[in-house]
Amino acid sequence: MRDETIREIEQFLYREARLLDDRKFHEWLELLTDDIRYWMPVRSNRYPVISKAISILDGSRYEEDELSKEGELAIMDEDKDSLTRRVQRLDTGMAWAEDPPSRTRHFVSNVQLEPGANDSELNVYSNFIMYRTRAETEVDFYVGCREDVLRKVGGQWKVAYRKIVLDQTVLLAKNVSNFF
Amino acid sequence: MLAEVNSLVDADNGLISTRIFAEPEIYQEELEQIFARCWLFLCHETQIPQPGDFMTTYMGEDPVLVARDRSGNINAFLNICRHRGNRLCRAESGNAAAFICAYHGWAYGNDGGLQAVPNLQDAYYSELDTNKWGLIPVAQLDSYKGLIFATFDASAPPLLDYLGDVTWYLDFFFDRREGGVEVVGGMHKWILPANWKMPSENFCGDGYHTAWSHLSATTTGFGGEFRSKPSGEGKVISTGNGHCIVALGAEDQTDPSVPVILAYEAEIKQEVEKRLGDRINLVKPHAGTIFPNFSILRSIARTFRVWQPRGPGHTEIQAGVFVDKAAPPEVKEAFRIQAIRGFGPSGGFEQDDMDNWQGCSESGRGFISKRQRLNIAMGKGHESYDEKLSGWASDYRISENNHRNYYRRWGQMMSAANWSEL
Repeated sequence: MRDETIREIEQFLYREARLLDDRKFHEWLELLTDDIRYWMPVRSNRYPVISKAISILDGSRYEEDELSKEGELAIMDEDKDSLTRRVQRLDTGMAWAEDPPSRTRHFVSNVQLEPGANDSELNVYSNFIMYRTRAETEVDFYVGCREDVLRKVGGQWKVAYRKIVLDQTVLLAKNVSNFF
Repeated sequence: MLAEVNSLVDADNGLISTRIFAEPEIYQEELEQIFARCWLFLCHETQIPQPGDFMTTYMGEDPVLVARDRSGNINAFLNICRHRGNRLCRAESGNAAAFICAYHGWAYGNDGGLQAVPNLQDAYYSELDTNKWGLIPVAQLDSYKGLIFATFDASAPPLLDYLGDVTWYLDFFFDRREGGVEVVGGMHKWILPANWKMPSENFCGDGYHTAWSHLSATTTGFGGEFRSKPSGEGKVISTGNGHCIVALGAEDQTDPSVPVILAYEAEIKQEVEKRLGDRINLVKPHAGTIFPNFSILRSIARTFRVWQPRGPGHTEIQAGVFVDKAAPPEVKEAFRIQAIRGFGPSGGFEQDDMDNWQGCSESGRGFISKRQRLNIAMGKGHESYDEKLSGWASDYRISENNHRNYYRRWGQMMSAANWSEL
């Protein structure tokens, strides 16, 4: 991957993070393709198959993957329309989880690029920390990784797919009212 | 506790003390008087369908392991090794013939029996009676329409008596079609910084908050159209033993306004009526709480949740999504999507509830705030026993009738020395 492409993608991700931290959500929506899939599966605490803490009875149905699968429960499973409605909800003045608003700071790192499914797409991996403080003393850390597909549309990069994996199983935050 | 309970809850006059949401001493009493005695929801049978399947949960603050043994029977045990008290199984779910403690290696079968103890011959001189050191089982375990409940109190009445007349309402959620429901894979789990009774009372009878608390979600299309066009009918219904149901009018549209869901509901309406009887033409139940901490919802999202107590000021929410087993795949998928977008940590409805419940719980910590009585008097006297609904039902669709009955039961449980006093 060429250095300038890497720089270009990093700058795209940083700009996106800045829009979110500045609460410019409508501008953020413009960075998403119309067919975006935005998915945050749930994570559960499981023993790996090699664990000696259990003796597996039925290996054929044992699942060690901590992440929920397609078609199972997720924290978010969104398309462009539902993300747009989430933003519209914030505009009502009655979205109490964000009223008063969260103060967020997104840190994006460990950016890696791989060729995408076609010439106009790139697979982009990144880690993130999203620090949130709100009201008087509320503090939350949302830490995880993202698997994105970025697509060049009309000369501009957009997010066409985003899988967000949080590292916590039982979320210590009282809600997920921000974007990643 | 009796004298004090009377100063904390005055259900007849619709007054409760903020102290019940904040004080550690009251919380400790709850663990003993309520969570160690009541029937508590563990899981749905479709979450552990095959021999060896297990999941871990809590009864109050006690960790519990629920496992299906080789013969297919479901058992539940304290999830604690009998030797030194270590947490036995640390996974949320899986499939196992045996569980082996990570500390010294004591091994238990999925039927709870102690199967192996390292150094049994030499260090224990074979003097440890392994038959006496199996996992501690719950006192009673039973299920209703796939919902598995257990109690640590051997003297608690049988589950069916405990549930009483709320069973028909449970049928309306979990047994509308042949085969009942199945739970979508995965659970939402997160920490709510509020007392466990706040969400319990909300689901038990708070049809009042939806119009204001959730207006942002309804106006931006997160739920059905029923909030904006209610018939004005509906009731909150207390069927006894603290169990409470919120219902709208029979013709009110409580389902997510997704074409595939509306078409499905129209298609199965007669089948459901045949199965559940005429009462479905009187009310449409859409939320409720089974005392003390198991809540259910079927408008916007088909979801159940257990409000696991974590100290007076915190609750671990464990929530799942259910769908009719007989529904076609595209209908199940539509319900799954609606549930995720409306409820759970990111739900357009539920994320806002957290803030309000937190605020309500925290106020009980202040010295002056603690002296205050809170008001659950709405509609007091405007309720009556309705034979057709098998419960105390409010005259108007919005009422705190259920709050009063929920907290009346809470007071009874907190003060009663045994079940015969209840």
